Amino acid sequence: MSIDARNHDDAETFDGSGDDTGDDGENKSRVARWADDWIRNPEKAYAVMLVFLGGVLLTTSLFPLYWLFNVAMAPPGQPDIPLVPASIDLSVFVQVFRQVPFARFMFNSLFYAFTVTVFVLLVGSLAGYAFGRLEFRGKTPLLFSLLVLSFFPPATLFIPLFRAFNQQVPMLGLFTLPVEVYGTPAAVVTPLSAFTMPLAIFILTTFYGQIPDGLEDAARVEGTTRIGALFRVIMPLSAPGVATAGILTFITVYTEFFFSYLMTGNSAADWAPVVDGVLAFQTQYTVRYDLQAAASLIAIVPVAILVVIAQDKIISGLTQGALKE
Amino acid sequence: MAVEQAGPEVSDGILTRIATRTENLSEQAYAYLLLVPAFLVLLLFAFWPLASAIRMSFFADVITGGNLGGFVGVENYVRLLTNSNALAPAAFIDPSFQTPILEQALFMTILFAVLSVTGETLLGFLYAMLMKAEYKGRRLVRLLIILPWAIPIVIQGMIFFLLFRPGYGLLTEPLQQLGIFSSLPLNTTFDSFVIVTVADIWKTSAFMALLILAGLESVNQDLYEVADVMGASRWQRFRYITFPLVFPVLMVAMLFRTMGALRVYGIIESTSVGCSTVPSMTCLVTQLMFGSATLYGSAAAVSVLIAIVVGLFIMVYLLFIRQSNQSLGLA
Repeated sequence: MSIDARNHDDAETFDGSGDDTGDDGENKSRVARWADDWIRNPEKAYAVMLVFLGGVLLTTSLFPLYWLFNVAMAPPGQPDIPLVPASIDLSVFVQVFRQVPFARFMFNSLFYAFTVTVFVLLVGSLAGYAFGRLEFRGKTPLLFSLLVLSFFPPATLFIPLFRAFNQQVPMLGLFTLPVEVYGTPAAVVTPLSAFTMPLAIFILTTFYGQIPDGLEDAARVEGTTRIGALFRVIMPLSAPGVATAGILTFITVYTEFFFSYLMTGNSAADWAPVVDGVLAFQTQYTVRYDLQAAASLIAIVPVAILVVIAQDKIISGLTQGALKE
Repeated sequence: MAVEQAGPEVSDGILTRIATRTENLSEQAYAYLLLVPAFLVLLLFAFWPLASAIRMSFFADVITGGNLGGFVGVENYVRLLTNSNALAPAAFIDPSFQTPILEQALFMTILFAVLSVTGETLLGFLYAMLMKAEYKGRRLVRLLIILPWAIPIVIQGMIFFLLFRPGYGLLTEPLQQLGIFSSLPLNTTFDSFVIVTVADIWKTSAFMALLILAGLESVNQDLYEVADVMGASRWQRFRYITFPLVFPVLMVAMLFRTMGALRVYGIIESTSVGCSTVPSMTCLVTQLMFGSATLYGSAAAVSVLIAIVVGLFIMVYLLFIRQSNQSLGLA
């Protein structure tokens, strides 16, 4: 779409670049010739600037990750790590799993992220359908209450939830949660579902609201139930929106620190997530920075794969409507 | 789309029976039914904790056992705002201004939010322009720019811990030689504040870039053609088309990030800077809860104060957005 804008620029500078072969003397330095060329032909200068800026920006963005790899490759206990690793020894990545049940930590985190995502998409879809496609009394106040809710920091919700899960303070003043719930996935999954739900509902509401009524009516005439229409027509047609909401939820939960750190114990067998796995290295094996770095790199892999697969969906989903609310 | 096999009478599964039952509901009743699961979860794990936290903030602290004392009204708030809670690990705000700014949770957090949101907006805009331009290998560049967004906070912390660790980190020594950093940067408030801010900008500018890119992509490309025909320069195209049209998205993105920055906690813990060195507002909540004394009333009061600060920032943004919409003639 936007290629033509650039072509027009070329057209504008056409008269300038036509005669630049004539007066370029041999005695001019290369730099001066470049400068001349760029003044006549600003597109080239922009291209060079873009490459330069891009280089700087990518370095900024990637250097910290490269450093992590570099530390992982350095021998344990080495005080000054050179910028380029002396040798590449991938056995640290295996050692990570021997020192700490890191696979279990990873599994726990992925389990949390996956469960919350599925739950939020399912429950959020029902609500998104109601908000996006149905008329009912109290719609605006209910949507507004969601908006207000999403403004509150997790710290505010945390204290009562911690007491309910850990000290059996009655919820709503009515009933207490069983002691066993703390240390199970439920203690992390439920608060994080509630915490990620409002944004998912907003995104789904926007997308579901955009589907023309005719498509749903057609399916209904063919005998599909109301709920069937939601899952067979509306959701598939809103795939970019569902994907966006799902990916945002998954990444939020996988990268989250506050609840994951404070609502769990720190042993992998008790459903502690990656947070505790990485911190386990920091506290127990303080001399083995190479292992910490290797563990960190391993924990990035699942989300990195997700971003590779889904980057176009994320961008198009956000462009198409997630930001219109 | 498998519509033909969906006749309600065909199978007798429980789902089908529920689906059939809903057919006879009015639109209003059906809407409420669909909202029940979501709002049930939110009631238990969001609305109730919220109300409960507000209520708790009006009750006295009990130093041991994690209980609450009697009703004390706004005393918890008064003690926090006058810095007269002897058991508090750090000042929320010190009206006598004897505590350095960075050791007062409120100002430290606000300064952090302002610096990091400004930094990540500028950097995020540059990233977004780079992701928007067309060239070979753009997919890869986009991927590499987005990547930090998907990195768990604990690993973000680990990276910057390794970069700045004394005697080990790459950046510590040069900064010490320049006289910017002290000998123990991870134990010095100013140095740690800088480290935490830089770490936050690094990760969140990727998210910012993603949102701004979405804004850039939704700008109608025909406008640029019109601008070209009228002989607009690159700067004019940015100034009169790109910026005004991306501005609303930019504001929403900044609002999101400000809310995030005001609740900063994870990066402070995971860089092993620790809450005692850089006391953010959320830090104060956890310290009051899990410190040597369990001060639940005061902790709840701090958590409500955080919500109030966030609310004030949101109001400023909304006022600003409304005003600029009016001046742009979009309202």
